[in-house]
Amino acid sequence: MSPGAWVELVASGLITGGVYALVALGLNLQYGLMRILNIAHGEFLMLGAFATWLGHTRFGWSPLALAPLVFVALIGVGLVVHRLAFRPLAKTSANVDVFEARGLMVAFGLMFLVQNVASLAWGGELRGYDYLTEPVAFGGARFAANRLVLLGVALAVGIAFIVVLRTTMLGKGVRALMQSPVGAQLVGIDTRRLHPLMFGVGLGLSGLAGSLLSMTYTISPSMGEPYTITALIVITLGGFGSMTGSLVAGLGLGVIEALCMHFTSPSLKSLLSYAILIGVLLWKPNGLFQR
Amino acid sequence: MLIGGRDQHLIGDHPWGAGLRKVPNRDAQTGKRRCMDGIARGIEPAYIQPTVCREDTAMDRSTLSITRRRAVQGVAAAVALPGLARAQAQPVRIGYAIARTGPWSAGAQVSQEPNYLMWMEQQNAAGGLNVKGSKRPIEFVASDDRSEIETCVRTYEKLMGSDKVDLVLPPWGSNANFAVAPLANRFQYPFLAPTALSRQLIELKLPYFFLLLQQPAPMTTALVEMLKTNGAKSVALIYVDDLFGLENYAAMKVALKGSGIALVEEKSYPLGVRDLAPVLRSMKDKNPDAFVGFTYPADTILASRQAKEIGFNPRFFYASVGTAFQLYRNVMTPAGAEGVLGMGSWNVKTSPGAKAYFDAHVKKFGKEPDRWASGACWAGLEILTAAVARHGIDRKAIRDYVAGQEHSTILGKIRFAGSENVGTPGSVGQWQNGEFEVVWPQAIATAKLNPNKPAWK
Repeated sequence: MSPGAWVELVASGLITGGVYALVALGLNLQYGLMRILNIAHGEFLMLGAFATWLGHTRFGWSPLALAPLVFVALIGVGLVVHRLAFRPLAKTSANVDVFEARGLMVAFGLMFLVQNVASLAWGGELRGYDYLTEPVAFGGARFAANRLVLLGVALAVGIAFIVVLRTTMLGKGVRALMQSPVGAQLVGIDTRRLHPLMFGVGLGLSGLAGSLLSMTYTISPSMGEPYTITALIVITLGGFGSMTGSLVAGLGLGVIEALCMHFTSPSLKSLLSYAILIGVLLWKPNGLFQR
Repeated sequence: MLIGGRDQHLIGDHPWGAGLRKVPNRDAQTGKRRCMDGIARGIEPAYIQPTVCREDTAMDRSTLSITRRRAVQGVAAAVALPGLARAQAQPVRIGYAIARTGPWSAGAQVSQEPNYLMWMEQQNAAGGLNVKGSKRPIEFVASDDRSEIETCVRTYEKLMGSDKVDLVLPPWGSNANFAVAPLANRFQYPFLAPTALSRQLIELKLPYFFLLLQQPAPMTTALVEMLKTNGAKSVALIYVDDLFGLENYAAMKVALKGSGIALVEEKSYPLGVRDLAPVLRSMKDKNPDAFVGFTYPADTILASRQAKEIGFNPRFFYASVGTAFQLYRNVMTPAGAEGVLGMGSWNVKTSPGAKAYFDAHVKKFGKEPDRWASGACWAGLEILTAAVARHGIDRKAIRDYVAGQEHSTILGKIRFAGSENVGTPGSVGQWQNGEFEVVWPQAIATAKLNPNKPAWK
């Protein structure tokens, strides 16, 4: 294989992995911080994709300009969902284990609700549009411009997010809450503000991923579920609560899948993903980056 | 007689909803009775079409105490409004389950259910389905199978076993049909499947089951003949690893035997694949004359986009389900789709009936039907309509009629040998100037084949 072909192969994996990472970061934030295993996470990715598709095909707006708007809009949706669904649950649950179990049920309900509302609004058909599909060639490799944009944005947002968590007071608060919820509250960190905000940011990241995906793939109301499942694999691999773990595991899984598909068969992709998951869990039961 | 009685519920159907939907027969605001003979009157959204208005029979106790004045009113109404009197005809209850959610819905909501809905609307607008000379409104008992075989089987079991609907229409796709066909056969319901490709289904020799689409053997034979005639020497192949992909792959290998065309690469992939670039890259390295994909709509578009991305542009680029969709042209743009081959068997030039159907579809839904299975679906409904007109709801007689006759449809003459439609030859379609043309075989071609696909745009 030529060097260009290798670059293409690895970059192709990084592009897929970048999306995995973006979705997983949001899911990990919700679970790591609040113990909300949001099974409906992928449905908000789908909402982001449809919002971008609608804005572009109906009003002619640029998907790239829409992506940040979708991010902000989904944060707003997250605040509302948290207020309506999870805050009352937190109030009435005796302890965090009860909350987690109930939260899972609520998230399942959300999944069906959001998916069916989307089906009602747009039908079950595939949708898509043509945007930045022209190939860009460099170093013997060729990529569609929209896939490079996807990779660039996913990496930039993922890294920026980790930097914010590590260097700002807000980030310190979030990390403190992840390490010890009771301790964090004792030192004055306001969970009533931080929880909804981080839940919203999680959905915002999911919506952003959906927005980027709509440039490269066809979209449908059922597109979100597989991403939720992959995100669960990624956060398990990277470690619950570890943002760096999610980023590295997402990118790594994408690259390994691409190599596997090239040298064996795409049909073996799922088998390989789960084999890696089982192998890592046997080796490090708490995930690669969990201390 | 329209003389009151206890409340009835009209069963309408929602194309995207999750299941059956009951529409009360009194208006929520005015409290007035709704009585529609299946012709949309603008009260409900277009997709909710109460198709029948069943009133109580004379046996109902309440009718025994009617006043003379109301009786006169009723008689007068029946005389003055024959349309309303006709609406009381017993509806023909037709059941089906189809994907409105899940991965199958991408195909089902393009090629199949819109046609069912349009057929019902057209028939009811004409006064009802002609059942051996008498017009009866069509009432659908329809639900979402959620792209799940279990749900699909359970629903058909209920429709045929306990609901005992008059007729059934098939679900979408080879897998669902494979699961439901033996059941329909056991309950002796004629089953005219528009979206099933499976040699195995034919070999089951189910007397009540008919497949309208051309099957893998004639389709792949036509494809290989076309490739061979135009000088292709090598082919690279991908196929989805389900019944549809596996059967087409097997048929393709048989068709390639002795053709002089080498199969230089073959790879399967799972449904829902998100990246085919690594596979296409290795195919590009082998520089085949032709690429063939036995693919579903999302994968068809993914393979095309990623082939464009990596610059994989063989002389013949063939993909399967979804190539004949309007979506393909929208997503790839007409210039980008130019020269792409796929499974297709008709367009508006095929017959005047095909043009009328196409125009009606565009008018109703604001989108074009696909140039492959949609046509087969409509042809199946045409056959069913003719069978019911001739034999009523006698399912055995309908089955015998379908099996024993040659049928005139928008696709041309259709006749069945066992379960297989042997009237429509295997065919190949190609995007040319924004239209999906039939280019092979010559007998049904609507345009001349372009044997050199231009570069992706």
